[in-house]
Amino acid sequence: MNVLIGVGNPYRRDDGVGPLVADQVARRGGNAVQSDGEPAGMLLAWENADLAIVVDAVVCEPSTPGRVHRTSVDELPLAGGAPSSHGLGIPEAVALGRALGRMPARLVVLAVEAADISLGTGLSPAVAAALPALVSQAMAELSGGRAFGPC
Amino acid sequence: MSHRARQLRVSALARVEGEGALNVVLHEGAVERAELRIYEPPRFFEALLRGRAYTEPPDITARICGICPVAYQLSACLAIEDACGVAVSTEVEALRRLLYCGEWISSHALHVYLLHAPDFLGYPDAIAMAAEHRDTLERGLALKKAGNALLAAIGGRAIHPVNVRVGGFYQAPTRATLAPVAEQLRSALDTALATVDWVASFEFPDLELDHDLLAVHAESQYAITRGRLRSSSGLDFPVAEFPDHVVEHQVPHSTALHAELDGHRYLTGPLARYTLNFEQLSPIARQAATAAGLGSSCRNPFRSIVVRAVELVYAVDEALRLLSEYEPFQPAHHPVPPRAGIGHGVTEAPRGVLYHRYGIGTDGLVTTATIVPPTSQNQAAVEADLRALVAANLALPDEQLTPLCERAIRNYDPCISCSAHFLDLTRTER
Repeated sequence: MNVLIGVGNPYRRDDGVGPLVADQVARRGGNAVQSDGEPAGMLLAWENADLAIVVDAVVCEPSTPGRVHRTSVDELPLAGGAPSSHGLGIPEAVALGRALGRMPARLVVLAVEAADISLGTGLSPAVAAALPALVSQAMAELSGGRAFGPC
Repeated sequence: MSHRARQLRVSALARVEGEGALNVVLHEGAVERAELRIYEPPRFFEALLRGRAYTEPPDITARICGICPVAYQLSACLAIEDACGVAVSTEVEALRRLLYCGEWISSHALHVYLLHAPDFLGYPDAIAMAAEHRDTLERGLALKKAGNALLAAIGGRAIHPVNVRVGGFYQAPTRATLAPVAEQLRSALDTALATVDWVASFEFPDLELDHDLLAVHAESQYAITRGRLRSSSGLDFPVAEFPDHVVEHQVPHSTALHAELDGHRYLTGPLARYTLNFEQLSPIARQAATAAGLGSSCRNPFRSIVVRAVELVYAVDEALRLLSEYEPFQPAHHPVPPRAGIGHGVTEAPRGVLYHRYGIGTDGLVTTATIVPPTSQNQAAVEADLRALVAANLALPDEQLTPLCERAIRNYDPCISCSAHFLDLTRTER
């Protein structure tokens, strides 16, 4: 089982990119869920998964909004300085998942550089422009590198 | 300790659902200030809701919290239905209660096992606790999973359910959809009872609160989605009078609003519910509470972990009862035509009383929105506890006082508690 987990809050502007990707992937027939990044929820979302793809917004300094970083779990910062708007959400979920032996066989993180995570709706132009390619990449990853055919 | 100022500070958290800070300032051996700032986003949501269709608040306000979206959805539904003069059927009411049980199970399991228990077992967080208590944490995850399964079966998905609408539901689930959930809940009941036994064995610091307690109360059942408001000081009033009794006001030291009940500080949440509604618990939940050494009231915030465990038993037990009586119904919702007016809605979120008030215009658009979440109602009580706790433990060095303050805050399960370490301490000699 492969699953895409879109992490974020659509009422924090670019932070909503994760849920938006999950929504579009689900509409195209992919297995996708939304999450607020709460660690126990993440562990349940990727339970028994061969591959979990986590999409989340990150704040970088200096920043190129809309740029997508593809990282594996080993490259994630484990404590402090977590660049996500969720504080320690994903790294903490990974640490807890490791301690409990509850990690997916493979975990890929697609981190999207955010321009604006203030309160409000709608993506910044840079992140909105990156969305179609991001959804395609997520679909391809989810189907093991192949594009999805018609369902 | 004289001529010294100490400052215990929680830096602002970038956690989505809660942005908070705690500042305790001591000067010359006395607590000068204890300031807690949490939960600002509702103010933003209130502004965002104005001008939106009267059908939208349930889905929009659900995004205020990923842990208790059902609470927001249902307080919003009740307020809008109240404004429009519609009362839903007993079937809708029962299905809402069932959905809400799922949220209580999921939220309480998370707090008891992953956030609160490490404090009693001497671990900095659940990750450290996992090394020696893996089976225990697995039990917590299994409970949370059962709650999520219930939420997903009725709500369409576990986080931010999509099946809730003003007037009821888009679709009533089939019995076949709910059957596997009932199976999971039957085993969850044993797990919940084991949870009560487990947390009852912890050691609890002595502390008795004298705050007034406020909870929704109903004669026939442990109130979640329906009832009047009651306080331990003897107040008893209908939901529509909430704004007459609960007044939010500015305090000089904080940009956050504080709430007062008839001019005094009060507490809402599990301790208040348990103390005011003990008689309405189901027999199995009452027995578990008694076996755990709880009386018919509980005013020690450290024991809130036992009360949450008892509420876990109740929520699972109540969900099983509702599931056994459930029959799919059509239509799944009542028509709710817009009507100009003001409506009030109150439900018992996992963390306590959650109040919504909406004004709706003749065009069906929201004219005013007010949301009073439990965590902000509890701010003054938490600050008072912190002042008392710090004053009683001034002799402790900072590295012991800081975690004690963290524990005191976590007793109330505020939304900022998702971070295991949230107090930074700085000491200023002067």
